[in-house]
Amino acid sequence: MTFIEYRDAAFKAALELGCSAAEVYFMDEEVFSVDVVNADLENYSVEHGCGLNLRVKLDGKDGYAYTEVLDDPATLVRRAMDNARSIESEDVHPMQGRCEYPQVTMPQNPAKGMTAEDKIKYAMDIERATLAADPRVRRMDRSTVSTSRVTTRIHNTLGMEADSIKETAVAISDTILGQDGVEKGGWAIRFGRNFFDMEGMVNEAVQAAADQFNASPVPSGEYSVILRNDAAGDLLGAFFSVFSAEAAQKGLSLLKGKEGENIASDAVSIVDDPFYPDNPRAFDAEGVPSVRTEVVSHGRLNTLLHNLKTAAVAGCESTSNAGRSGGVINVSPSNFYIEAGEKSLDELTQAMGDGLIITDLAGLHSGLNAVSGDFSLLARGFLVKGGKRVRSVEQITIAGNLLPLLRGIIAVGSDLRFFGLGSGIGSPSLLVDRIMISG
Amino acid sequence: MISKSRAQAVLDEALRTGGDYSELFMQDSEFNDLQMINGAVENAGYQRKAGAGIRVLKGTRSAYAFTADTSDEALLEAARSAAAAITGAREYESVAFGTERSGSCTYEHRFSEVENADRIALLKEATTSAKAYSDEITQVAARYLDVDHRIMVCNSNGVWATDRRPRTRVFVQAVAMKDNEAQTGYDSPGLGMGFEAYRRINMADVGKTAARIAVTMLHAPECPAGPVPVVIDGGFGGVILHEACVHSLEATSVGRGNSEFCGKLGQRIASDIVTAVDDGTLPGEWGTITFDDEGTPSQRNVLIENGVLKTYLVDLLGSRRMDGHPLTGSSRRQDYTFAPTSRMTNTFFAEGNDDEEEMIATMGEGLFAARMGGGSVNPLTGEFNFAVTEGYWVRDGRIISPVRGATLIGKGAEVLMKIDRIGRHMWMGQGMCGSLSGSIPTNVGQPRIRVSEITVGGKGGAL
Repeated sequence: MTFIEYRDAAFKAALELGCSAAEVYFMDEEVFSVDVVNADLENYSVEHGCGLNLRVKLDGKDGYAYTEVLDDPATLVRRAMDNARSIESEDVHPMQGRCEYPQVTMPQNPAKGMTAEDKIKYAMDIERATLAADPRVRRMDRSTVSTSRVTTRIHNTLGMEADSIKETAVAISDTILGQDGVEKGGWAIRFGRNFFDMEGMVNEAVQAAADQFNASPVPSGEYSVILRNDAAGDLLGAFFSVFSAEAAQKGLSLLKGKEGENIASDAVSIVDDPFYPDNPRAFDAEGVPSVRTEVVSHGRLNTLLHNLKTAAVAGCESTSNAGRSGGVINVSPSNFYIEAGEKSLDELTQAMGDGLIITDLAGLHSGLNAVSGDFSLLARGFLVKGGKRVRSVEQITIAGNLLPLLRGIIAVGSDLRFFGLGSGIGSPSLLVDRIMISG
Repeated sequence: MISKSRAQAVLDEALRTGGDYSELFMQDSEFNDLQMINGAVENAGYQRKAGAGIRVLKGTRSAYAFTADTSDEALLEAARSAAAAITGAREYESVAFGTERSGSCTYEHRFSEVENADRIALLKEATTSAKAYSDEITQVAARYLDVDHRIMVCNSNGVWATDRRPRTRVFVQAVAMKDNEAQTGYDSPGLGMGFEAYRRINMADVGKTAARIAVTMLHAPECPAGPVPVVIDGGFGGVILHEACVHSLEATSVGRGNSEFCGKLGQRIASDIVTAVDDGTLPGEWGTITFDDEGTPSQRNVLIENGVLKTYLVDLLGSRRMDGHPLTGSSRRQDYTFAPTSRMTNTFFAEGNDDEEEMIATMGEGLFAARMGGGSVNPLTGEFNFAVTEGYWVRDGRIISPVRGATLIGKGAEVLMKIDRIGRHMWMGQGMCGSLSGSIPTNVGQPRIRVSEITVGGKGGAL
């Protein structure tokens, strides 16, 4: 069946079987990806995935069912209705009705018009450039070029129809350097308007690996720390759920009930901006028109992020932050970032004087807790003395709690950067007062 | 799912540009998912994931195409898409299917015959038990998952294998709160069988465990930091083996020269009391597979025997990169949207001869890590980290206090040599392992072990 045939049959079945409303969320994804190693194709993949998530409203409760096979709408409707009957929570989850969407200009697809051969050639070029960039480059882990086209369609029986197409392209250089019998890996990614910035990417990947040589721990103690933009973005992303009203309403966020309070230093403002030009969207995963939200202004928490359900519980408007996970609607970032300050990373380093620059954090999925705010993470970076990098540091842990960390931010860098493509989390480098380091 | 003659046509189409191996993987899976907050069902979902993936190899060149549409035309088109990575003339035809394999999973109580009410009852039992543990428990989040994977994999070497892989798991997280401070605890057992799993998994115990950890940690001071002896209890403690060692034994790392254990077969890489095993054949376990996602039967792989490295974990492509290293039945993938690669199944330190109490009594001052959280490793450098979710400080060989916030860091090759005690009883815990071919269910396990020194990181409390 086509999407439209399936949608119409599912809506008809749902309404006939007693549902008050029904909604489909359909995604069709085409991906081309190639990995090159040793001037040969190592992985080459052509992907076509699709999936349809059905949501029905039965006696005020929502039930979900998902399929990748568009063959039997009536069975899927019955599955979703069974699930709706299981719901015991009394929370109301409104469904978006017919509405107007803001115009957004999708960024130009940098890989538009490239053939498979062109993409393979670009991946080969990246490998060749990386191998030539530094005598210590031993080999590539891989160079990757990947392009995708994702079609999203959210339609419901209330007359809402939200359709979008997003095209993206990503390039990665992932390399291995050797020195004195020790090997270290480094990688860099480029996407969107920077897709063809091969030189910048290659230099960044090589530098990331080279920075790790001759590293050792530092003595345990409290240090002033700069979280470089990549490490800061990773930490913000791992703690994203504390800004979710869904987590707060379930008692699983330390920011629960803290709206209106100062949770960070004056230097910190955090925004969720669906219109950020590199990754804009007109609506969220439940078809709510996009709005920009100032989450934290100069340290003050204005609001948590909402979808229609959490907004109904809290008695406010959705911030257009619905996402989907396993079909179920949750709260997700659009483009969620700490606003840039004025100092470059070098100026922050000067301002810090003595301390550490943290460039990499590991254990983000296990070493932090969004309920307590505690974190304890494997880290590496540089030791800084008198405003100068003196050597590389590894095998240390950085530990603390999110709120003291946010309150201890002295200055915010000018180097705002988003790392994953569409991960939606960005940060500049952050200079933090004192953090416990164990070596 | 597909007739043999259609499958053969797809395999042949994939070989037409000169590939030397083609493989068709098909899947039709059903998932049920229930989430409960504080005793009330919050979300209920059903998912059917189905599609096909086609892989073509020529030497070490690999091409993969997948499609959710499994019509004849779509499969042939996917075969052509994968074949396009190889530009030559046909060299091989697929061999007629000769080797037939089918799964041996027990599946007594089918998930399709389970009512949601029965699933909900499990979550309620755990929630009630967690709340009853202490007044300090303020929130209980519980989740139930089941999946019935039906898969078929066939290849141009004549292998035809079909399997059914039922799995189910529960997650219970408890939050304990006092004076505006919160700590959490969780437990998440799972098995590779039908709903009969809940004759073995006691939900009241699951809830109580989650609550006990949360309450214990709420009253625990920060863990002291620094290099100390560490005793790691059995069960999920085996995550240290998984992260610190076995990821670096997978062909995905070794076959590319990107592992600290490259070229070490037959050499001593661990202290001589260490024997480590990856065994995909254990009946009904979370990480068990009858055969792998290339159709190779799973087996018991002794990775390290008395400290000596015996084998890597190798899939077909890995074997080609590793001078024909034998296949180990280790090729796995999350689903049809991933090409398979070398992965773990049920991975554990085998039982040793040491007394579980003695190893604490003689450790002097250090950390007893009773429960471990997840972790990660950089296979190239062997640097690992993982979180201790329930820890106790030991002084003069006696436990003196619970401690919170500890992280263990180190390098795999070093920590393996420092294992100086291995206990007599092994048990396992469940996890989801993420790598190149997606997220797959794996068991980790061990008896209680002692490591003479690991760096404990954290906020660094004083006791």
